[in-house]
Amino acid sequence: MTSTARMAPRRTVGPAVPQSGHRKSVNRRRSVKPWNQRVAPYLFVLPNMLIFGLFVIYPAINNFNISMYDSGNGRDFTYVGGGNYQGMLSEAEFWSAARHTVVFAVFFVTLTTVVSIGLALLLNQRIKGRAFFRTVFFLPVVISPVVVGLIWGWIFERKNGLLNSLLGAAGLGQPGWLVNSTLAMAVVIFVGLWLHVGFYVLIVLAGLQGIDSTYYEAARMDGASGWQQLRLITLPLLRPTTMVVVILSLINGFQAFDYIWTLTGGGPVGGTTLMVQYIYEHAFQSPVQYGSAAAAAVVLFCAVFALTVINYLYNQRKESA
Amino acid sequence: MRSPRISLTVASAAIVLLASCAPGSSSDGSKTKQADDKKLTYLYFTDGPDEQATRDLIDQFEKKTGAKVNLQIVPFDNLEQRLQARLSGNNAPDVARLTDITPFRADLLDLNKFQKGALGGKFLKGADAYVTGKGGELLAVPSDLTMNGPLINVDQFKKAGVPLPDPKKPWNWDEMVKDAKKVQAANKTQNAIAMDVSGHRFSTMLSQYGTDFFDKTGKKPAMDTGKATAAVKRFAELNASGTMPKDLWLQAGTKYKAANEIFLAQQTPVYLSGNWQVSAFAKGAKFSWAAAPNPCRKTCGGFPGGKFMASFKQSKHQKLAAEFIAFMNSEKSQEKLAKEANFLPTRKDLISSGVKYPVRDADMQTFLDDVKRTPQAAYGSAYSPAFGATADASVKELAKVLAGDSSPKEAVEAIRAAAQKALKDAQ
Amino acid sequence: MSLTALRGSRDTPDARGTRGTRRWTSIGDGPTPTAGRVLAYAVLIGLSIVVLAPVVWAVLSSFKSQSELAQVPPSPLPSSLRTENYTGALSSFDFALYLKNSVIVTVGATLLTVVINTMCAYGLAKYNFRGRNLLFLVVLGTIMIPLQLIFIPVYQMAAQLGLVNSLWGLIIPPAATPTGVFLLRQYMLTIPDELIAAARIDGAGEFRIFTRIVVPLSGAAIAVVTIFSVMWRWNDFLWPLIISQDQSKYTLPVALAQFNSQLVAPFNYILAMSVVSMLPVVIIFLVLQRHIVRGIASTGLK
Repeated sequence: MTSTARMAPRRTVGPAVPQSGHRKSVNRRRSVKPWNQRVAPYLFVLPNMLIFGLFVIYPAINNFNISMYDSGNGRDFTYVGGGNYQGMLSEAEFWSAARHTVVFAVFFVTLTTVVSIGLALLLNQRIKGRAFFRTVFFLPVVISPVVVGLIWGWIFERKNGLLNSLLGAAGLGQPGWLVNSTLAMAVVIFVGLWLHVGFYVLIVLAGLQGIDSTYYEAARMDGASGWQQLRLITLPLLRPTTMVVVILSLINGFQAFDYIWTLTGGGPVGGTTLMVQYIYEHAFQSPVQYGSAAAAAVVLFCAVFALTVINYLYNQRKESA
Repeated sequence: MRSPRISLTVASAAIVLLASCAPGSSSDGSKTKQADDKKLTYLYFTDGPDEQATRDLIDQFEKKTGAKVNLQIVPFDNLEQRLQARLSGNNAPDVARLTDITPFRADLLDLNKFQKGALGGKFLKGADAYVTGKGGELLAVPSDLTMNGPLINVDQFKKAGVPLPDPKKPWNWDEMVKDAKKVQAANKTQNAIAMDVSGHRFSTMLSQYGTDFFDKTGKKPAMDTGKATAAVKRFAELNASGTMPKDLWLQAGTKYKAANEIFLAQQTPVYLSGNWQVSAFAKGAKFSWAAAPNPCRKTCGGFPGGKFMASFKQSKHQKLAAEFIAFMNSEKSQEKLAKEANFLPTRKDLISSGVKYPVRDADMQTFLDDVKRTPQAAYGSAYSPAFGATADASVKELAKVLAGDSSPKEAVEAIRAAAQKALKDAQ
Repeated sequence: MSLTALRGSRDTPDARGTRGTRRWTSIGDGPTPTAGRVLAYAVLIGLSIVVLAPVVWAVLSSFKSQSELAQVPPSPLPSSLRTENYTGALSSFDFALYLKNSVIVTVGATLLTVVINTMCAYGLAKYNFRGRNLLFLVVLGTIMIPLQLIFIPVYQMAAQLGLVNSLWGLIIPPAATPTGVFLLRQYMLTIPDELIAAARIDGAGEFRIFTRIVVPLSGAAIAVVTIFSVMWRWNDFLWPLIISQDQSKYTLPVALAQFNSQLVAPFNYILAMSVVSMLPVVIIFLVLQRHIVRGIASTGLK
């Protein structure tokens, strides 16, 4: 997580404040600190931490707990230990959701990373209308995913959708975008990209701005081509930013749900049912299976956590190498 | 990550602490504290015109009792999930309209406690076992009976010069498909036959092919592999050839989806649905249409279904809720609902006296004729506690066949297995 | 560096090729247009169309009548700017109520979030106390545990506290956003300690220092958290879908998804309400976008 600190604000009213600045806090000599300064921080963090504890920390831990119970239609709980995990691992639906989630996440993370870096590089040139393009690409981020799913679902509709009526008029056939599992997954990935990529473009742009221009001047002096500058200076120096993009899009990709709900509803034949929808349906479809839904959440969390750590360690090694 | 040790210790301590207590509190509804206000929440799904008739009846009930009924309409495909969420959040509605009471059996209120006189023994016998609890409780009231059957676009049949099927002498499956295709060709519609994405509708086809999920007691799996495979095969062929809209089934995934829009847009001359569409079409169809007899194969007739009204142990207005259910299912109310929404009544007195429908009476008679032709085993299946889950599974399996992911034979095996499991779960 | 650049572009509203933007570091070559430059414009313009087309299409279509919508092939422009879809949806489907709920939840939750996140961030940034680092680590770690994942136990907690089916249930549980705390804390670290120390010498109380000195100085970061919070709460779906159980408690996204799923409401109404749900956030974004840009630039975290 220290990487995020690297992206921390450098409020530049003058030279950047050193990052370690917060360690020498207001009053270092604890012994003489008046009582109100000793109590104050606890009071400041209390309201936030109270809600945090009640609705994030406690439930997160309780989730492990629930995953070891059979929920008996949501009303009577009996302890089953690892039973839910066993049951889940032998369930075709779980594997289907897991497979689709992995496929989605792999494509989503890769494409998000590549496209956002590509777009940011384009925008980082001397381009007229940069602010306009930046605004346009970010626009979908603020739109309700439910609405995004509705609109795209309507555009991709087989018979009367905008896309197919255009394709049909051009004599290009009318593929069943949301009817064929592979196409539907491609559509879901595309819409996910459409919805989120602008956010990552901004992150990468900020990262690019952090690269000292003297590197490029020196490189140009040595006669390096644009491509060489990109490969030898930009991409290596952008690595911390790239890592942030990968980790964030990973977390984002593993919890995709809302726009898929209105775009495909998880269909066709479960072809775009990802883990969060699987959890929702196990939690509230009869018979209610809180236990196995919670178990699936634990598995999903472990996957995100493991991938984040691996990504982090990999980057640490690259950096020190 | 500077102090992982501390956080680990704290976290593990917390886990140990928490693991010792069970995660949920079980609520025993019989002790639910009753509220004094006269307010009811009625969770409802609608097929169209029944909504207005229901609202009118609610007005009457409110005037009569001074109560206030809050009608909550949710989409049918999300009804069960929402009800489950409400129940586990201790926010049950006071009354709900359901097609399948099995998942909620343990939560339902015994209506005999309040309204035994008004409700006991008044409804059709077939549903008795289904709505009765282990200790003889009355868990729900069948509020209307439904009969599945085809609806046809009369204009399109006429234009194609195809004679309409005779309600008294039903056509068979081959004739229906042949006629529908002829009409499709003459009118250039997208499809010839459309069926709702529903296991209940598919059960109709199964029954006509001579088999059902369960036997007539509803407690034993009875699906004949050979006959069921034949039905699934036919269904798959019809979809593969474009006679039926394959997209509809595939796109719906596992959710319920009606095909009524396709029929209303005149893109299919034959629509396999049921009598609850009649009143909506009477208002919404811009062409002339009619109910047609169910096609025969091994047997004739359609497939019964119904809606139920129930209250919950969690309800804070149990007495009023039971009173409301009794009111909505009194002879007068049911007759009004039946007439205005073209529903089939469930009360013995109304069945024997018969309901004269102000609109589309002839079509309703077609459905009633099919009620008589429907075999007993179909009723056994329809009122089996395991029907809902098995029907859902069959939608899933059929979609897999249409997507080319499994064969008709595999689908039938999977549906049989699902029926077994559903019976076990329902006990 | 990054912020200096952004400042520059802020000073000059017309950011195209003016003094401000020229300060961005660039790996482009000379001023003469090259094939690469042309290609870059082609890609940017092409992608802009892909991004804008569906939104524009939806807005235009929201003025179309049902029969115009069903037309094949569709005509790009509505026959006239008829507002019937908007008035019809608002009057016949309680959309006004869902709109009101959405506004209440968004405003309420954002106020709560901003207040408690700012307080918490200040505590974590400017005090040295036992458990501070642990708390901060916990905040960071939970970015990986979104509500989407653990909604079952959160729902149970909400049920125990009687928050189910109430707007409070939509406001309180998601209010303590880890991102907000993180972002504000990082920003507050840059406030010089001397300012606070000086205020103490002048005899200002701890809370007074917070409200009179720290909050005004953190305006930019608070703006970012506000915008994010508005965006999140306005667009939230899964949590409201679970918590808003009575129709009278629906927010706009829940109503849209519920009504669309069975065509309870006609599609032209759904479309009009979709546009209504897009508008406020898009406007807020367009007005305040440079804060968002800056916020993301300054943390790199969502």
